[in-house]
Formats: sequence, structure tokens, C-alpha cells
Amino acid sequence: MSYVEFQGISKQFGETLAVEDLDISIAQGEFFSLLGPSGCGKSTTLRMLAGFVTPTTGQIHVHGRDITRLPPEARDIGIVFQNYAIFPHMTVYDNIAFGLVERNMTKRDIRRKVEAALEQVGMSGYERRFERELSGGQKQRVALARVLVIEPEILLLDEPLSALDKKMREEMKFWIKEIQRSVGITTIYVTHDQSEALTMSDRIAVMEGGRVLQVGTPVEIYEYPASRFVAEFIGESNLLSGRVQEVTDGRCEIDLGPAAVPAQAPSGAPLSEGSEVALLIRPEMIRLHKVSEDEAPMLEGRIAEEVYQGSLRRYQVETAGQKLTVEVANRPDLPLRSAGEAVALYWNTESGVVVR
Amino acid sequence: MTEIAATTPAPVKSGGLGLRQSQFKWLLVVPLIVFFCIFFVIPVGLIFATSFNPSAIGQVAPTADITLENYIRFFSRSNYLMAAGRSVVLGVVVALVTLIVAYPMAFVIAKTRHPGRNTTLLILVLAAMQLDMVIRLYGMMVILGDNGLINQMLLGLGLTSEDAPVQLMYNFLGVVLGLVQFALPFMILTLVGVIRGIDPSLEEAARALGASRRRAFFRVTLPMSMPGILSGSLLVFALSISSYIVPALMGGFRVGVLPIHIFQQVAEGARFQFGATIAVILFLLSAGAIAIYLRVGARRSGGLA
Ligand SMILES: Nc1ncnc2c1ncn2[C@@H]1O[C@H](COP(=O)(O)OP(=O)(O)OP(=O)(O)O)[C@@H](O)[C@H]1O
Ligand SMILES: [Mg+2]
Repeated sequence: MSYVEFQGISKQFGETLAVEDLDISIAQGEFFSLLGPSGCGKSTTLRMLAGFVTPTTGQIHVHGRDITRLPPEARDIGIVFQNYAIFPHMTVYDNIAFGLVERNMTKRDIRRKVEAALEQVGMSGYERRFERELSGGQKQRVALARVLVIEPEILLLDEPLSALDKKMREEMKFWIKEIQRSVGITTIYVTHDQSEALTMSDRIAVMEGGRVLQVGTPVEIYEYPASRFVAEFIGESNLLSGRVQEVTDGRCEIDLGPAAVPAQAPSGAPLSEGSEVALLIRPEMIRLHKVSEDEAPMLEGRIAEEVYQGSLRRYQVETAGQKLTVEVANRPDLPLRSAGEAVALYWNTESGVVVR
Repeated sequence: MTEIAATTPAPVKSGGLGLRQSQFKWLLVVPLIVFFCIFFVIPVGLIFATSFNPSAIGQVAPTADITLENYIRFFSRSNYLMAAGRSVVLGVVVALVTLIVAYPMAFVIAKTRHPGRNTTLLILVLAAMQLDMVIRLYGMMVILGDNGLINQMLLGLGLTSEDAPVQLMYNFLGVVLGLVQFALPFMILTLVGVIRGIDPSLEEAARALGASRRRAFFRVTLPMSMPGILSGSLLVFALSISSYIVPALMGGFRVGVLPIHIFQQVAEGARFQFGATIAVILFLLSAGAIAIYLRVGARRSGGLA
């Protein structure tokens, strides 16, 4: 049963079609991410749900109610902005009390709720501070407290971590997820960072050029991307172009030129023999071995380059006329390879995903 | 000039041009300092000095005779004190009226995203500043005068009689109207800058937290425009109390504010010393307004600290 429902939503700004024919449904309590490159229409989608942008076509339903034309203040939707939008002329206390004052609560109730909210985000004792006396992470906490304190039906987060440094980002990622889980609030999270989307979300919609390309769980999106764009946008990827040679139930053979390799047939419409496809193999799925006669490798190649990255080593391997990236964990039991060495490449048939 | 050059600290250790970045930056303000000294500090200093000289008709340059008699005269005559009060009231009224008229206009300009429309609006505001003050005031007289457009209309409608026109000028009202039209562009430009600088996501955050458009305006936009409101009002106040031409033309010398008295002392009585005294008092009123502004500004940012 869907809780938030976008039906045929489009938004045109003058000449630009920012969002095109968008259909998404989101379940109650779900952590849903909109993921895509800059300018793909993520913020516009979020702002239509918040009520700051009126869709050109389509409807948005929340809990069965059509909210497409409601003003923002009538929607009961909380939003945290990329720059946090803490009111600079108010203390932390007054910032958090803002929505409660609008709801005409008594001073006593406001005090109790603000204090509880500050406690929840670990900011007790900061009541009298002003925005400019807070660090990025603290502003983030205040912005979240200010929204959660009014107990909205839906929480919207527009790139809330992009203004923080890397370490802080990692920390806040888990913290936000934890708060979201404990409150159980339906959350829509906008990001262009695939690792944020993968770690935090229940489901992800990958967007590009105003369209949704694929909706799925992080595992589905990462392991079974529906298109080249999704495969390349999410994680490191090797995409080998080839031709479908043979299709037998569930399996297929892809002709990569110098060699043909077996792969899993994608779900959905059956592959037709002879069609041009790409074979996706994630760098961490490939094993490198010495060339030997024992077991036929998927491909053979030559190490072109080796890069040390701390926890892993990344090799560029020349094979089938293309360069493949291979990641090998940096463990003593895995042999080092040096540039120029001939290697055999292995991966499990299921790790080779056919992308149309 | 040479004095300033001499006080510039000698270049330290670096070779080449022998100027460090920070010293070089200071050199950039030298023209301003020179200009400011020649055309502001020295004349104002001379006026201060003159105001302490005994009254001598026709004597322009300051002398070594020091006396407080001009100040005693100023503060013991009620018509001068009333003039000072009138000037302050005029400045405050003009600042308030200008603010009320300018804010909505500034708000519209600041919120107009469309670049073409935005520029057009700004040009309209600036166009008002293109013409000389005197010409603009004569334009106002055509509308406000005893035989002006408004009075002719009222007469035509039979609301007034020929010998009792509504007094729209040659009184305090006329001076206020003249000063408001003079001060509007200054106020609008000051406010546009500040309102435009308010992050629109603050208003959106307020809306999402449950505030109507109106509530968001009063709780976020208006308080955040306060720096512009304060500095714009201060600017208009200072422009108003020091204006001579507007009270002269729109008030017909019947609204006795301080600049009118200065003119009468200097141009009609050739009493430079007493004229200088009134000028000093006018200057102190402006300085007082600035002091209040800084105090309020400091309290606001003190509150923010
Ligand atoms: N108010 C607006 N007026 C005109 N064009 C707009 C407006 N808002 C967004 N756009 C355009 O719509 C498109 C989508 O913008 P949007 O802000 O939704 O992208 P985004 O996915 O959030 O990007 P980013 O990651 O950079 O924030 C862009 O081409 C943008 O220029
Ligand atoms: Mg965005």
C-alpha cells in the first residue's frame, strides 16, 4: 500500500523540462532515495512534494489525499535543506520552537518539546546559541530537530550531507539513518552520492535528465542495473560490449570478440540472439590467476597498470581489446601482480550481468 | 600628501618592489584619504573653529578669539531650539514615510527573478534620480501648488472654493512630500540589496514549518531586513535634516528647519560664526543618529553573539 504517490508528474521551467512523467510510489516508513547526477531533477521532485513548486502535469497523493495544489504550510511535510536554512536571527531554541509556535502551543508544551528534540539530536545545552556559532554538523542536527519536533508525516532531505567534510559525512550518514529508524518516519532523501544512497536507503530511484531510470533496493540497483547509465553511475563498473550469441533457459553466451563468455540472462523481455548488449562485471567480482591449463578462464589478459589504494589494489587489465578494472583485497595470501604480467581472469557466471 | 607618504611604514625585508601585499593595499586608499582631508575634514574643522569665534559680521576666516557666546545664543533662543526639534521631527517623519512607501517596492524588485523585468524596475527607480533636484521639485509644485493639478481637480469637483485651496505645500506636509520623493530611491536601493541577500530557503523553511506566506514574512523576512531598514532610515534621516533646497522650495521658507536658519545667517546676515554654530549642531544631530544606529546595530548583533 503506497503512502506517497507521484502520478505522471512533470515540471517545465520555461524551456527546461526538469521532471518528465514521473511515477513513484513510496511505502509508509520507507527510506527512499532519489539518486542522480546534478541537474537531473531530484530537487525539483522533492520541492513539488514539499509544495514549493507546482507540477505542470500530474498529481501527488499522500495517504490517499491529493495534495498537488496545497500550499506548503498545509502539507505536514518537514524538509531539511542542503544549507540547513537555520534562521540566523533566532537562537537554536527559537529555531526549533518555530513550527510549534505556528501550531499555537502553550509556552510550557513548547519548552518540553524543544528540550526533548534537542536531547534527541544530542544538542542539549545549545539553546542560546545562534546559527553562526554552530559547526556544520551541529547546524545539521538543529535543522533535523526543528523538523522532527513538529512530527511531520514525511521527512524530506535535500543533499543534507554535501556541505560536510568526509569524516563528518560518514558519521552523519549512520546517525540520520538511526534517527529515521527510531522515529519510523517516511523519508525521501535526495543525493548525487551513490554510496550514501546505497548505505541508507530501503529503495532508490535512479534519475537522469528528469526521468526515473530504475527503482529498486540497493542490491537490485547495484547488482542488476537496468541500463548502462545506472551501471556506470552506481559503483565502479566494467562494461564490455558484445553480442548475444546464444540464449538457453536463464543463461546466455555473450560474444566479446576474442572470446565468448557465459552470463546470466536478464529478467524481463527475453534477449534476442545477435543483439548488441553490454556485459557488466564489477571490479571486485573478478579474480586474477596465473595462466594455467587447469580450468578455462573467462578471459585472458595482461596487467597494464597497478594502483595501491590501501585496503585494496586496483589493476587495469588489457583484455578483449578493452581495459578492465580489477580490485583485489590487500591480503598477504593474495599474490601481487606486476605490470606486463599475463593473467587469467575468472568470475562466477552470476557476476556477469547483461545490460541492454 | 608628503606627510601621508612619510607615515607609510618603510618596506620590510622583501626585495623587488619592496612592498608587501598588505602595505600595497593601504596605498590604494591614499587617494580617498587625501580627498577626504581636503574636502571634508579641513572644511568641517574650519566650521567647528569658526563656531567658537565671537560674532563679527562679514568675518569669514576663523580667528584666535574663543568664546561660547554663539552656543549660548542658540540654546537660549526658543526659535532655534524649535528649529532643531522641527528638523529632527522632519527627519524621523520622512524616514518613516519613505520606509513605508519604499519597502513594498523594494520587496517586489528583490523578489523579481526574471532578469529583464528586474532591470526595468531598477531603471525606473534610478530614473527618478537622473533629474536635478530643483527640476523635480518644480514638477511636484505643478501637482501640489495652490493652482496645481490636485487643487484644480478639487475645485472642478466643487469640493473647495477658489480662495481656499487645500494647502499641500509651503508647509510641513509639502516639505515631507518633497523629501520623500527625493529620498525614495536611496531607501529602495538600500532595501533591495538587503532583501535580495536573504536566502530564499529561509522563507521556504518557515513555510514548511507551518507558517503562512504572511507569517513567514513577519517572522523571517521582515526581521532579516532589519539591517537595511536601519541603515536606509539613517541615510534618509541624514539626507532630510541636512537638506536646504527642499524646505526652501517646498516649504517656501515657512518651515524653519536648521538648514534654512544657516542660510539666513550666512547669506542674509553674513554672520558666519553663528551660521557655523547651527551647522555644528546639525552635524551633531546626524552624528547622534549614527550613534543610535550603531548602538541598535550592536545590540542586535550582540543579541546574535
Ligand atoms: N526555479 C527554476 N527555474 C528554472 N529552471 C529551474 C528551476 N529549478 C530547477 N531548474 C532546472 O531544472 C533542472 C533540474 O533542476 P534540479 O534542481 O531539480 O536538479 P537536481 O537534480 O536537484 O540537481 P543538483 O544535484 O545540482 O541539486 C535543471 O536543469 C535546472 O536548471
Ligand atoms: Mg538539487
